[in-house]
Amino acid sequence: MRFDDPAFWRAGAISTILVMLCVLAMLTVDSLQAISPGGSHVPPYTVVNRHIDYVFDADKGIDVPVIGPSQPLFGKVLDAPAATAMMDKAKLVIQSRACMDCHTFFGNGAYYGPDLTKAWLDPDWEAWQSITGATTKEDAMVAFLKDPEKYATWTRKMPNMHLSDEEARAVVAYLKWTAAVDTNGFPPNFGHVHADR
Amino acid sequence: MYRSQKLAVKYLAAAIALFGVMTVAGLLSAYYYINPDFLFGMLHFNIAKILHIDTLVIWLLMGFMGAIYWFLPDELGREPVGIWLAEILFYVFCAAVAVVAVVFIVVQYGGSDQASLWFINQGRKYVEAPRWAALGVVAVMVVFGYNVIGTVIASRRMTGIVAVLMVDLIPLVALYLDAFPAVTNMSQDLFWWWWLVHLWVEATWEVLIGCIMALTLMQLLGTSRKIVESWLYIEVALVLGTGILGLGHHYFWIGTPNYWLGIGGFFSALEPLPLLGMVVHAVYDAGTHHMKATNRPALYWMMTEAFGNFLGGGVWGFMITLPQINLYAHGTQWTVSHGHFAFWGAYACGVISVAYLVVQKTRNSALVNGAAWKWSFAALNLGLIGMVGALLVAGMTQSFVERATGGSTLRAFIAGQEDPWFVSGMMLRFVFGLLFTFGYAILVYDLLTLGKRSVSVVAQPVSP
Amino acid sequence: MIQIQLLETALLLGLYILLAGGYALFYTLAWMWHRSSIRIAAIALYGMHGLVAAGIVFWAPLWLGWKLLLIASSLAILAIPTITLHHLERTHGTGSLSA
Repeated sequence: MRFDDPAFWRAGAISTILVMLCVLAMLTVDSLQAISPGGSHVPPYTVVNRHIDYVFDADKGIDVPVIGPSQPLFGKVLDAPAATAMMDKAKLVIQSRACMDCHTFFGNGAYYGPDLTKAWLDPDWEAWQSITGATTKEDAMVAFLKDPEKYATWTRKMPNMHLSDEEARAVVAYLKWTAAVDTNGFPPNFGHVHADR
Repeated sequence: MYRSQKLAVKYLAAAIALFGVMTVAGLLSAYYYINPDFLFGMLHFNIAKILHIDTLVIWLLMGFMGAIYWFLPDELGREPVGIWLAEILFYVFCAAVAVVAVVFIVVQYGGSDQASLWFINQGRKYVEAPRWAALGVVAVMVVFGYNVIGTVIASRRMTGIVAVLMVDLIPLVALYLDAFPAVTNMSQDLFWWWWLVHLWVEATWEVLIGCIMALTLMQLLGTSRKIVESWLYIEVALVLGTGILGLGHHYFWIGTPNYWLGIGGFFSALEPLPLLGMVVHAVYDAGTHHMKATNRPALYWMMTEAFGNFLGGGVWGFMITLPQINLYAHGTQWTVSHGHFAFWGAYACGVISVAYLVVQKTRNSALVNGAAWKWSFAALNLGLIGMVGALLVAGMTQSFVERATGGSTLRAFIAGQEDPWFVSGMMLRFVFGLLFTFGYAILVYDLLTLGKRSVSVVAQPVSP
Repeated sequence: MIQIQLLETALLLGLYILLAGGYALFYTLAWMWHRSSIRIAAIALYGMHGLVAAGIVFWAPLWLGWKLLLIASSLAILAIPTITLHHLERTHGTGSLSA
């Protein structure tokens, strides 16, 4: 009986795998377009020049990023090459300091520190402006990143990762960009306490 | 004993030693949650975690390689081709691991430049090792592949198990190439990173451990080749049939299109079904032999592999895999609970089973039994289950407090972390981690002394 | 609150698969040992699995597609031990085992 023949199951394994790999390949091509900067889900890096918000969409039932009017970062509008250079720098900071071995981006990484996906939109930064003596949110974030021990948020302190001014600004720009990525509603209920939908 | 088998013993010994490093780094990582000021300014959580998860990957890889180097010569009837190269690379591999670990501990971080990525820390989870070391891993795996494929060619023999292994090695090595890039776009970075991580631990590694368990079953229980090969093909079909598109369960929230919610959730939800079949198979095999074999610890650890894989991967995974739930559980200690249970059940138990088998053969012990393995077995498994249970409580608390009700902000995160249930969970996790460490110590004692102790090893034939 | 219900649903989903595993385990033991008490336990476990499945389908705030998938999976779960054991017996060339 063919069910007793290993060759039957070998053929089944090969055909199953090939079909699944073909489907994966097709979906990968489509997804890569969507997640490229400027694609359907991921904004171009120049989004850092705009106001970012995260608003509940009743039709979709999830929070979605909303890209608003002009809001230059550090008071300066960046063109595409400058924005890209800042992002490249930021990602090198994030990797060289192993940020994702304490924090998460899009929920991926380590869980000792908070998720950073929407950190740009965290309501806490308003308070940190006065604490750090900064005039803007981004300056408060830079001040925090450069001396997190001085501006500790709670008993589990972030250590000083010895970021330069340039590095800290690049990271802040990166956080503004990630806040504008459409993550299908992650993290949920952002900023809404005891939300009931 | 073939040279390949002597090398296998070295790889398994190195694997068990690294298992110890992983355990100590795990205890340290867990302790930071209890005392966040511990070693502050000297050694932080992220370095301890890097040591913990990177040694996890390396010790399991070394265990797999040890197993294959052990079985390969008997499988193909000759000394593997190029074994001298593998022997040299073993020492290079161990030295590289040591250097990388020392640099992680002493240097820790570099500047935001390519030099840091090449020599210090790449900062991408599981593959933080600097590029020079990643190149070394590629070299080791390429030589490993050469040993396998070259021997097949030279011996002019091929078995079904070796054929599956050979085909599996190609994507295994190719996927590791994602250990090198530093892509700026986080969505894109994670997209490819998940190809490496998921298609390793939920695809190619599953096939690899399947091959190893097939080879182990033949030696341990005398199961016929035709049976294990038939089952290997079925397992490969079912695990890869669900696991390849199950990759989508990592694509819910990273900026990818929302069709992944449906596709990833659907195939991921099917993933436990083959594991059910594995449970039936394991119970059947155990039953036909009345849980007796000449090597009881090897048999018990193999049974634990089947059940652990089902529980850790199947049950724990199924709890959090549907996207509506995953939205709240993603990136919490619930994930950690699942990860610990799944890695343990799917891979660690299998490597320990092989270690016991190899020890029996190398010490010429006709029967392997005794008290020590039972204490180790109990302490390791109870310790692991305790950690997993404690993390489940902490994770559910976090999902509820931080995500469901708290609004997912920094304040919500802190509220979750300070919740009494969370704090208790992390405390208990550490306590059970100590029990696990105790079990590890006995495991090492047992593996080192089996066959050399005056009592408990008796040369008697055991009827099946 | 829907979010709380979803977390409770997660526990039910874990129980759903756990009971499926329990059913598979006891079914196999009953097959091997021919003990009616173990067979009854297997049936009871599947019954509990079915109750949990029904609970999820009628109560949990999951999308319809997932509920349909769960129903289909429950049917597959019912069949998996039987099919697996038949194939095991055939490949091993044995009949049913006695204790």
